[in-house]
Amino acid sequence: MKVLLIEDDAETAHYVGQGLTEHGHVVDHAGDGRDGLFLAAAEAYDVMIVDRMLPGLDGLGAVKTLRAAGVQTPVLFLTTMSGVGQRVEGFEAGGDDYLTKPFAFAELLARVHALGRRRPIAPIETVLRVGDLEMDLIGRKVRRGVRAVELQPREFRLLEFLMRNVDRVVTRTMLLENVWEFHFDPKTNIVETHVSRLRSKMDRGFDCELIETVRGAGYCLRAPRV
Amino acid sequence: MAPDTAYVRRGFKLLRGSGVRFALLHTLVFVISVAAVGFSAEVLVTHALKVQAGRRVEGEAAELLNEFRQYGSDTFRKLIDAHTTSGESRLHYALLGKDGQRVAGEHLVARAAALVPAVDASPVAEARLTGSDSLLLVRRLLPDGTTLIVADDLGSVEDVEDVVSNAFAIVLGISVLLGLASGFLLTKGVLWRVEAVTRTAEAIIAGDMTQRVEQSGAGDEFDRLATSLNAMLDRIVQLMANLQQVSNDIAHDLRSPLSRLRQNLEHTRTHPTTNQAYATAVERAIEEADVLLATFSALLRISQVEAGSQRAVFQPVDLSEVVETVCEAYAPDVEEGGRILTYAIVPSIRVDGDRELLAQLLANLIENALTHTPRGTTVRVNLHSHGPVDPGPALEVCDDGPGIPASERDKVLRRFYRLERSRTTPGNGLGLSLVAAIAKLHGADIRLSDRAPGLIVALCFPPPPALNQATRETAPLG
Repeated sequence: MKVLLIEDDAETAHYVGQGLTEHGHVVDHAGDGRDGLFLAAAEAYDVMIVDRMLPGLDGLGAVKTLRAAGVQTPVLFLTTMSGVGQRVEGFEAGGDDYLTKPFAFAELLARVHALGRRRPIAPIETVLRVGDLEMDLIGRKVRRGVRAVELQPREFRLLEFLMRNVDRVVTRTMLLENVWEFHFDPKTNIVETHVSRLRSKMDRGFDCELIETVRGAGYCLRAPRV
Repeated sequence: MAPDTAYVRRGFKLLRGSGVRFALLHTLVFVISVAAVGFSAEVLVTHALKVQAGRRVEGEAAELLNEFRQYGSDTFRKLIDAHTTSGESRLHYALLGKDGQRVAGEHLVARAAALVPAVDASPVAEARLTGSDSLLLVRRLLPDGTTLIVADDLGSVEDVEDVVSNAFAIVLGISVLLGLASGFLLTKGVLWRVEAVTRTAEAIIAGDMTQRVEQSGAGDEFDRLATSLNAMLDRIVQLMANLQQVSNDIAHDLRSPLSRLRQNLEHTRTHPTTNQAYATAVERAIEEADVLLATFSALLRISQVEAGSQRAVFQPVDLSEVVETVCEAYAPDVEEGGRILTYAIVPSIRVDGDRELLAQLLANLIENALTHTPRGTTVRVNLHSHGPVDPGPALEVCDDGPGIPASERDKVLRRFYRLERSRTTPGNGLGLSLVAAIAKLHGADIRLSDRAPGLIVALCFPPPPALNQATRETAPLG
């Protein structure tokens, strides 16, 4: 993937840039909002990572300008501004995701992947399929092979999120934000417990586990290799 | 002569400031209105008098015409001369021959008539001869070819005009004086109140945060302004105190974990061992740093919430849905930990607030109950549409654990405060502080009480506005 990183702190930029390069992505770096704007307008990127506080033109302004100019590249705001209202501002400016510094690199990577492979115009899907797992979004039913899987509403949302991000790592925080709409860090293992319950419901009677735990990062629903 | 110079200075200030402009404007408006009234009065009076005079001369002309028909030319001529010399009538007459020369009546009237173009049955016309008053005259052509002129002296009208003008000139003069005086007085009164605000502001800038704007007690706009300003100042003082508190907290409670982190790192450096040991040390250091960062964000969160800026974006929140989501999210995990979480939620209870913060509030309360109770404890969450005494929605989190001694109940809401027996459990002593801050932001009362055994944390929200109750929806079941 081609990633544009707009970040004025050299050390953070190096840390993010190196990490993404190691994972096979091409990273362009701009040190301020103006340069970032030029790069973003001139080239096609898959994802942009934008710091909010930048010298000159700030991150919010840069993204607003790009959106006004019709640039639809997904934007991940990376910032120390962690207030509730500030995240809302980020989304209103046209950001697609918001990650607060300090962050674990795995978290950033998972979010960049999730954003980068987002289909530009998603057709309205009514059925999600991963291997022998099938989710009927209208009838709210899940089947694995021929067996119906009974899920609680929240478990359904959890599985839906995993299926929409098939073969990608989703972190605990991403699940908390998207499934429960929790924007805080619970001290307990609520995500772990729900995932393990979901797993036991889905995998009962099958030998291949669909939800894989990625150590130090999160979870990944993988399509079984044929 | 200090008071004198001060007085003079104040005088200059008055002249320099907006006061003079205000007073002059005030006077100008005053003068313009008086002048407008005077001018229109004069115009109206003159017009009325002239109309009256016109009717008089026309009436007289009509009457004379009748007399002419009755008596004939010669007698009529004598009659006109008789009218002129008798002086009984206040009107003036003249009779002009076919050539326009006077044949009877007054010379003056005849001369005046020559100034006005001769049109048959012309309406009333005005003429002025130099050295005399204006005449209002009417002419009638008589059957024998002569022309009858009847005129009225407008001198009386002009006299009235002069009287009216003079009267209004005097009134105008008085009004200028009055306007200036009242303008200055009004302005001075206003400026004095503004000055009071300025003085307070200056004192505060100089560092005396205890200063407040004086109020006159009249309950007018200035008092309202003063009340608002004072309330604003109180809020600023409170925010400053908050900030101070946060800095103190950080200094006290973040220093020890930081030094621990530093010690561990130093120890690892000075006692070189295996790569494995290094890796473990780094892992531990990251964990410690994460704990520190978590404490830091919790502190920031609390002060953000206490700052109250979030209140501006409050929206109606389905509290029942939030409580249910949080309980449902925690239930399995609580169960795994060997405790029980039960909940009873009255559906469709709405409050004005921030969904995210409300979810965090309940999550913190549940986590708090879990951290400080032994296995086998039952944690119960209740949401009622109103409390036992309070009219607003009531959220309760109860447990049958060890509870909190009465003397400590207030203190646990403070930052970093931890019960003696909890020092060894994980946590930073900020969970309940955040709960208290969020509760306060939502205008909710927080009460800790004894459940014997156990603890009840009760939150009483303000009653929803009538509108919210009216728009309540039926709750989805399950």
